[in-house]
Amino acid sequence: MISTEFEQAEAQDGYQVKLQVFEGPLDLLLFLIKKKKIDIHDIPIAVITGEYLEYLGRKEHINLDREAEFLLMAALLIYIKSQMLLPREQPLEPDVDQRQELVDHLEDYQKLKAACSLLREKEDEMSQIWKRTALAAPLPEGDLDLIEVSLFDLAESFFTLMKRKQNESRRIIKGKEISMAEKMNEIVAKLKERGFLDFLEYLDAQETLEEALIAFFCLLELIKARLVVAIQEQLFHTIKVWLRKDAPAPAKVDS
Amino acid sequence: MMENLKEIIEALIFISVEPLTLEKMKDVLTEVPEPDIEQAVGELVSHYESANSAIRIIHSAGGYVFSTKPAYDPYVRHLLQIERKKKLSSQALETLSAVAYHQPVTLAEISAIRSVDSTYALHTLLENKLIKIVGRKEAPGRPLIYRTTEKFLAYFGLNSIEDLPSEEELKKLMQEENA
Repeated sequence: MISTEFEQAEAQDGYQVKLQVFEGPLDLLLFLIKKKKIDIHDIPIAVITGEYLEYLGRKEHINLDREAEFLLMAALLIYIKSQMLLPREQPLEPDVDQRQELVDHLEDYQKLKAACSLLREKEDEMSQIWKRTALAAPLPEGDLDLIEVSLFDLAESFFTLMKRKQNESRRIIKGKEISMAEKMNEIVAKLKERGFLDFLEYLDAQETLEEALIAFFCLLELIKARLVVAIQEQLFHTIKVWLRKDAPAPAKVDS
Repeated sequence: MMENLKEIIEALIFISVEPLTLEKMKDVLTEVPEPDIEQAVGELVSHYESANSAIRIIHSAGGYVFSTKPAYDPYVRHLLQIERKKKLSSQALETLSAVAYHQPVTLAEISAIRSVDSTYALHTLLENKLIKIVGRKEAPGRPLIYRTTEKFLAYFGLNSIEDLPSEEELKKLMQEENA
């Protein structure tokens, strides 16, 4: 598999550990069905459950956070089998197949996989052609009409945003803890990758109010340290944050 | 038809960094009948396709935009100092396809389709602006609803959502794989 930056970003977060190459339980199930050359409309549940469990068993450590989905599928398979085996007081109608729901789900998923591979082809084609947008706008030289924004402009934008966010009234059960140092590193990394950040958009993308606040303070701190510069290209336009070319080496910031 | 209509349109597309829509062309060429514009665009597109030129005009995200032809990819990458273009991870792609085919859709629905918790992948897609939040569903918990963006179309070189691989194409591919 090609290692991409998208994937690297995921890996950095630590918890995105995949069960080998399978995206999820359906993916694994389809793989087993194909391997055993089974007709998807007539799945021998016992056989496939055995295979499935054997596969899970090969994993020494089961990470419940990530692999609960795989276990859930195992439970579902066993449930289906038990439903097929158990005698009932009132026999089921003859044409009801316990497996139907699973089969439908598998077929939908198969369709999704097909869509993925076709879209991947398109992505490959598109990756070989370039539009002029590929040239990321460099930090404009000279002053021109650029307005380096004041603290008040930043604060005003920020409060507008906060007001918008307040109305969303989300409830966060347990916030994750974010340190300023972490956030600053994230901002600098983003700036290095993209060239600039849209001030409002970036804050808006933060998950919680707390996180947005921290991001805001980090930006202020970075501006103060003269690592980045906040520029408004025209009055009333969005504020963009750029990495300073002449930036001093980033100093360690206390968290 | 206006004599230099093709050249005018060529100029308009040339200066447009984002795909230029027919509507925008019409705004400029108010005097010109619509079919004439469409025909001129068509001729322009085929002119670049057949010409001995490194660039072409692609029809993407509802508009027209200049792009290089695939053969020049290595040189452009060298110039831009890009080793290879970023691609979506398989996880992100699967989530994105689920959004594309089932939109408007919620996180819970996507996770159900994939049988995998899709919170993280959805977040990545949101950050890359391939999907957007369009509102909340009138359902318990008022979950957010997602849709794909114009950038999504441009990313895959699609013109509209109708351009997504059709049911028949998917079925055909599935049969080939099952065979």
